[in-house]
Amino acid sequence: MKPSEHQAPLPLDRLILETGTAGAGDTMELDVCIVGGGPAGLACAIELARLGKAAGTELAIGVLEKAEALGEHNLSGAVVNPRALRELFPDLRDSDFPFRRPVEKEAVYLLTSGSQIRMPTPPTMQNHGNYIASICEIVRWLGAKAEELGVNVFTGFPAASLLVDGQKVAGVRTQAAGLDRDGKPTASYAAPNDLTARVTALAEGTRGTLSQAYLQWQGVGSENPQIFALGVKEIWETKKPLDQIIHTLGWPLPGDAFGGSFCYPLESNLVALGIVVGLDYSEADLDVHVLLQRLKLHPLFRPYLEGGELVEWGAKTIPEGGYYALPARRSGDGVVILGDSAGFVDVPSLKGIHYALQSGIYAARAIFRALEAGEPTGERLAEYDRMVDGSYLASDLKKTRNMRLAFKDGFYVGGVKAGLMTLTGGKLFGGKIAVHSDAEAERTTTHSGATPGLRPGLDQLVVSKVDAVFKSGNATRDTIPSHLIVGKDITKEVADFYSHVCPAGVYEQVDGRLRVNAPNCVDCKATDVLGPRWTPREGGSGPRYKRM
Amino acid sequence: MRIAVCIKRVADSETRVKVAGDGRSLDDAGVKFILNPYDEFAVEEALQRKEKAGAGEVAVLALGGPAAQETIRTALAMGADRGILLQTDAVPADGFVTAQAIAQELKAGGPWDLVLFGKLAIDDYNAQVGPMVAELLDLPCVTAVSHLTIEGSAVTAEREIEGAVEVVQCSLPAVLTTDKGVNEPRYPALKGIMAAKKKPLEVKPVTLGGGSIEVLEMAPPPARKDGKIVGEGAAAVPELVRLLREEAKVL
Amino acid sequence: MSTVLAVCEQRDGALRKVSAEVVTGARRIADGLGAEVEAIVLGAGPASGAESLGGFGADRVVTLTADAFATYAPEGFAAAVAERARGGAVAVVCAASAQGKDLAPRVAAKLGTALAAEVTDVSVDGGALIAIRPVYAGKALLRVKLTGTPAVLSLRPNVFTPVQRPKAGAAQTVAVAASAGRVRVTATKAAEAGALDVAEAPIVISGGRGLKEPANFKILEELAHAFGGRAAVGASRAVVDAGWRPHADQVGQTGKTVSPTLYVAVGISGAIQHLAGMRTSKVIVAINKDKDAPIFKVADYGVVGDLFEIVPALTAAVKSHA
Repeated sequence: MKPSEHQAPLPLDRLILETGTAGAGDTMELDVCIVGGGPAGLACAIELARLGKAAGTELAIGVLEKAEALGEHNLSGAVVNPRALRELFPDLRDSDFPFRRPVEKEAVYLLTSGSQIRMPTPPTMQNHGNYIASICEIVRWLGAKAEELGVNVFTGFPAASLLVDGQKVAGVRTQAAGLDRDGKPTASYAAPNDLTARVTALAEGTRGTLSQAYLQWQGVGSENPQIFALGVKEIWETKKPLDQIIHTLGWPLPGDAFGGSFCYPLESNLVALGIVVGLDYSEADLDVHVLLQRLKLHPLFRPYLEGGELVEWGAKTIPEGGYYALPARRSGDGVVILGDSAGFVDVPSLKGIHYALQSGIYAARAIFRALEAGEPTGERLAEYDRMVDGSYLASDLKKTRNMRLAFKDGFYVGGVKAGLMTLTGGKLFGGKIAVHSDAEAERTTTHSGATPGLRPGLDQLVVSKVDAVFKSGNATRDTIPSHLIVGKDITKEVADFYSHVCPAGVYEQVDGRLRVNAPNCVDCKATDVLGPRWTPREGGSGPRYKRM
Repeated sequence: MRIAVCIKRVADSETRVKVAGDGRSLDDAGVKFILNPYDEFAVEEALQRKEKAGAGEVAVLALGGPAAQETIRTALAMGADRGILLQTDAVPADGFVTAQAIAQELKAGGPWDLVLFGKLAIDDYNAQVGPMVAELLDLPCVTAVSHLTIEGSAVTAEREIEGAVEVVQCSLPAVLTTDKGVNEPRYPALKGIMAAKKKPLEVKPVTLGGGSIEVLEMAPPPARKDGKIVGEGAAAVPELVRLLREEAKVL
Repeated sequence: MSTVLAVCEQRDGALRKVSAEVVTGARRIADGLGAEVEAIVLGAGPASGAESLGGFGADRVVTLTADAFATYAPEGFAAAVAERARGGAVAVVCAASAQGKDLAPRVAAKLGTALAAEVTDVSVDGGALIAIRPVYAGKALLRVKLTGTPAVLSLRPNVFTPVQRPKAGAAQTVAVAASAGRVRVTATKAAEAGALDVAEAPIVISGGRGLKEPANFKILEELAHAFGGRAAVGASRAVVDAGWRPHADQVGQTGKTVSPTLYVAVGISGAIQHLAGMRTSKVIVAINKDKDAPIFKVADYGVVGDLFEIVPALTAAVKSHA
């Protein structure tokens, strides 16, 4: 079964609108409209505001964030490289940044079902000098800094469409709110808003909808299609303290699936634990949430979690295609694409936050210069691409350009290749490895029992998807219209596949048919990669992460 | 029409409650704070009444720490005209002390045609400041209003009582506390959010009296005991009812 | 001797059940402080049932009468209670009923003192009046000391189980010169059928797929009705999605929490979204034919068997005790 055969295409007719298209309530004019209030978007806003102030120019900058409050839709491990924050705030010290603690001890293990084998830490995963952090806390901190500088942060406003003027991006239209299940306005209906801007920065995070729409509309390709992994993560308050960061490979992932787990102590007794799996796995019933539940029962992790309390749960995809999956250009007339939306993530080191911040900084500089020069044309904004290409951002990604891709031949072969790549600084196996998109990978149902299902009440440490969604803080209105576009020929097999893909229990196979529980969605975007297409829905819907 | 709305910054209802080091208050690390949901109905009601009257002002008043300014801005973003923060380090456990401070400020800024409160705050569930302020201002007061009609200065309010609805009448000026059902609060518009930044927000430090409630301790409720199967079939019903009445005390 | 006032409540000439709870609570305080309990009832005339208050510990039962007191008159009641309290009360105890929640703050403000609202426990410790009250939707309990005189409290209904503590209960009627005041209750209407919201009802009875078909929800509606307007009928997501029940009745989809005093899950396995939304209910009862259904792990009391037999039996039992 090939997921792509059942997927609906991107609804470009809804995602790209000519300016002046009817349907908007209010209009607002900005100099720069930033879609997404994550690290990339906020870094861009902050750098731009500062450049404006220094030049005595009053720039109208607006950041649109679909979550009800900053940070609520952000999720990461995380271990953060401080260099980009240092560049953004040259007057601050590391101790001023919203990090939790520096990485001291670390360990990498290869897991089997009953034990673990300590492995030497691969050079790509050396984290000395980096900090354990919560991306939610970083984002809230950045948000406060942005507002101090006069940036307008509009939370609860998802951008639903790009507004275009010919080939130029002229702004965005936000999503309406207050519609009932049939899409009809209720008493609290709020019409979409049009925000026109001289430059629109798309910082939507992983699998950004408008970013995809722009690239498809403009026919901007990349050497390889972007590929994704799905991460499912929990935060536990533990009785037993943990004072090192842990990464694991191997069990419980099946041999041909790429990924591993991470375990980071935000505090000695507050532990973030997650599993990340590449979405090109071959078993149709692989369920990443279930794999995480099994992982927690492993003797390496169980002692920490026993007697503790699950405080948060969440999920998010990660772009893994690296260097060869970067779009040929990440700028155009009136537009730039930042952070995860552009694919600036380095899988071998599990880093994306500082690249997102850095891309935001470069974009701000390019935008500012383009605005000063007059019209922010694609030519002028291409300076953003040049800055990225000439920086450590590109050179880092280039060094590890084939590392993830090598694993398409299986974990152990891939491991050897990856090891050789690292040792030779990318010279060996340097030629581009071609991959197809995740949706193009065939899935088979083997019933090998590799991922047995979850029975509620199985174990105190195990949480069902439904309870997990509750722990994500998701309180989406039940009567909201579905935001998911289901494709065609959804057989029982496909419905079963979707029910395993989605960590939040949005999809169920009932009597051979697909049931969609759209309000469960936590915006991880796995569905957009392998199943029904994701579109923005009413602001404030989705999870409410606090310290993920 | 001059309308005052009294609002409160409260911890979100989904907050996981942890007791702070002092053993008496909420540990607010990672807690999301919002405009008290019942106060949203009050703000919305004020905005609708002003719109109906065609002229007037809606002033929003809060008692709290500096962060309560954000909460006032939310109300300003919905459309209120100006805000006042009575700034204090700790919100008193004694609602009467709060009421005295608010009443004093309202007296100084009055007269008001209408003073609105939410029926209760979802953090302390005290449900008292509104009617206490009404007493101190010597104004008529109707609490927990779930349906409201105002014609001229004639107020007809409905409030839920056990198994029925009470219809209550009074005249403006009056104090009303709002309950769910009285209206559908509007989402702040983008323009409203921007405009809110420029609307006047006066911060007035206040010194409050001690009051006559002393918080000794805040603690989690006792852990839920393991459940039991009472029996099988309809025969188990008498025992179930007995347990619900005598042990659980819910009947 | 000082007095603890127990402010009782009557409707349509008969004392409401909660009055016995108020007297019980007042008695406990009075015993700790060495005081007497004076139960007061406000009305146009005597209320039936007032004579029983002595059995719960009232030393005196004083009926304050005025024409204006034919219905609840917020300002008149508040003035009369405050006036009575000024005659030597160390504490004034009300119910945190709909009326009490309106009356108690007014009385406290008139007396210039604090109100401890929705108290679930009260005691006297070394002469100091200590109360426990839930905060953060019951996720925490606050223990407070009331230092004002008089101390004003409202008691959460259904918590202070009436206890027989027979005292003299000497009845008095005092005519009070009171006007209704500026706030007049002009009518009382029956609540709309089904107007009670699942999120706010003190009792929720939810049905799942075990009900087999939409028409069978009637048996849950009958059970809800037996609770006399305090119960709402909820539904699991499965049943709402199947179109059997309206969306407004849905309990526990994506994190919506309902927290009633009593939650009865009928024909709900508990393996789906439902559990997450109702877990903080005070008391959970599960009725299901499958003894291994996950709902029994969460329920305080479970009955295994055929819901079509159990629910009607429960309805009959509740009705007969009402």
